[in-house]
Amino acid sequence: MIEIKNISKWYGNFQVLGDINEVIGRGQTVVICGPSGSGKSTLLRCINGLEPFQKGEILVDGISVGDPKTNLYKLRQRIGMVFQRFELYPHMTVIDMIALAPMKVKKKSKREAQAKAMELLERVGIPDKAHAYPANLSGGQQQRVAIARALAMEPEYMMFDEPTSALDPEMIQEVLEVMIDLSKEGMTMLVVSHEMGFAREVADEIIFMDGGRIVERGTDEEFFKNPKHQRTKDFLNQILK
Amino acid sequence: MFSAVTGNLAYLLGGFLTNVQLAACALAGGIFLGMLVGLGRISTRKWVYRPVTVYVDFLRNIPLILVIFWFYFVMPIIAGRPLNAFVSAAISFIVFEATYFGEIFRAGYQSISRDLVNAAYSTGLTYWQTVRYIMVPIAFRRMLPSMITQSIITFQDTSLAYVIGLQEMVRRTSIVDSIEVRSIQLYSFVALLFFIVCFAGSRVSRYYEEKGRRANVL
Repeated sequence: MIEIKNISKWYGNFQVLGDINEVIGRGQTVVICGPSGSGKSTLLRCINGLEPFQKGEILVDGISVGDPKTNLYKLRQRIGMVFQRFELYPHMTVIDMIALAPMKVKKKSKREAQAKAMELLERVGIPDKAHAYPANLSGGQQQRVAIARALAMEPEYMMFDEPTSALDPEMIQEVLEVMIDLSKEGMTMLVVSHEMGFAREVADEIIFMDGGRIVERGTDEEFFKNPKHQRTKDFLNQILK
Repeated sequence: MFSAVTGNLAYLLGGFLTNVQLAACALAGGIFLGMLVGLGRISTRKWVYRPVTVYVDFLRNIPLILVIFWFYFVMPIIAGRPLNAFVSAAISFIVFEATYFGEIFRAGYQSISRDLVNAAYSTGLTYWQTVRYIMVPIAFRRMLPSMITQSIITFQDTSLAYVIGLQEMVRRTSIVDSIEVRSIQLYSFVALLFFIVCFAGSRVSRYYEEKGRRANVL
């Protein structure tokens, strides 16, 4: 369970997050949407300690992320993350990249780590790309490798930061399908995305953020049919057009 | 015609070997230390960033020959006993070249996006694991042409160690010259040897530059 309690964050005098409260239970998929600059990505980075925050508390399975005594490296092993621009290691082949953290962090043997990597590549549908370099893959393939890299650590949570917004339209579906499968298999997921079709299909809760605050939240039915706030309505009109 | 060179060939080439050995020490030590210096230069911790920056700024603004001299006279005071010229020169070169390689590594590290590093952290890798498996290999590949160029400069500069009496090639040439009095052919020979090595090096550098541009891998 991830508990976000009253999080606020500032860059200098500029407030990027204001009083965020949210609980993500086991097996849930929560989709966050909102205009750019609304603090969605920053919120994800606070949850796995990539960005500090000044006020409030985040608990991941009861472990406080903001506590200076918390071993963040250890905590991050439980939370996989996928980025908008893939962020694959350009100097490694796909299979080496996926096996890296299991070998170095979990001290698995190379053989074991690579077998697991192959298994994950089968799962995301590109076992034939095991020995390719990222530069030789399409955007959709790169993002699926990034998902496999995160899954290799057998995380309990997965965070996606706009995973399809850097993709050509015809590649979006192949990535979403992998994510939908994950969600249906019971992975706990926090997804920043404007893919409302995806949200409708798997989200247990949808959050709309603007100006660093949660403006509205709801299950997909209430969220799409009866948004309460004008800003949410405007936003939905914009992206569903 | 080249009697002064041929008659003392083994002695002169022995000096050249010293240049090669000194360059090898300077590069191994300078590149390794430079890797760390580069990290210090992008550190967000002031107590790391500031001293490293002072060190880099200081040494990059004084001539190498002074550093070599200075170390030669100061090291015996620190070490408590006289050091031989080779060890003293090697230490001076490592400390000096690390500032140059440090700036090359810094540029390499800064070419890596913040989120690529975040991606490594998000898989649970520690800072030093991220440095070792992600940052250094990428920076090294991207900066390879600059590193080769700096290595060539380092190799040329090893001849400066003659000022503390190191028996490298230039020093030995001047000794031979004082006996044979054949300055032109002797120094031409030295120049030719340096030219061959450095020119070959610059070609290698150009090759990697082209290759990097074409492959577009990094």
